[in-house]
Amino acid sequence: MNHLQSEPLNIAALLDETNDPASGALVVFGGTVRNENEGRAVSGIDYTAHASLAEKTLAEIEQDTLRRFDILQCRIVHRTGDLSLQEFSVLVVVRAAHRAEAFDAARHAIDTLKQRTPIWKRERYTDGDSHYLEGVPIPHIQHPE
Amino acid sequence: MHITVEFYGVLRQVMGTQDMALELFDSTVHEALQHLCQQQSQLSIHLPRVACAVDDEIVSREHRMPDGATLALIPPVSGGST
Repeated sequence: MNHLQSEPLNIAALLDETNDPASGALVVFGGTVRNENEGRAVSGIDYTAHASLAEKTLAEIEQDTLRRFDILQCRIVHRTGDLSLQEFSVLVVVRAAHRAEAFDAARHAIDTLKQRTPIWKRERYTDGDSHYLEGVPIPHIQHPE
Repeated sequence: MHITVEFYGVLRQVMGTQDMALELFDSTVHEALQHLCQQQSQLSIHLPRVACAVDDEIVSREHRMPDGATLALIPPVSGGST
């Protein structure tokens, strides 16, 4: 089951994959490339990943979300490569019997992804400049420097 | 012993490459990082916020790597805005 891909993300495919007759609620979160960040005009974002570690982490987040919430399905797929404005960078699909859990689970999944997954964003600006965005240190074994 | 070091995110910019071969006397992650800082002093600024991974497992700086290991330097991941 893939969690990273370089091809454009496909919501319909994820809906088919997670189809569940016990589900009464579907929540889809989609992250898209925005045209502005911190006052700068953005032309696109380059996403890179440590592929094997990101695959492992996203699979863990799916399983963790399924354990924490009363939901039926959780699928996360992130795109890598050079994305243009409004392209989907990530999709989180959650199905549950009821909407409250579906919303909560989807938020948990995307919030956790952003704190743990080894994926990096280099923003490209309309003036030709580019810049790696500041991120969150992933939990690692503390070492006295 | 020989290892390969992979750089991710902003570290690719800092080091000017995606990966590098290293020859080490000692096999710890700590020694590998010291070698790298000698080659590029700018790396040391980033290290307190960098996690290290060997074979898809986050490891400590005291971790001993096998010959031929791949050490990945994982800088802060892009949280983005909420």
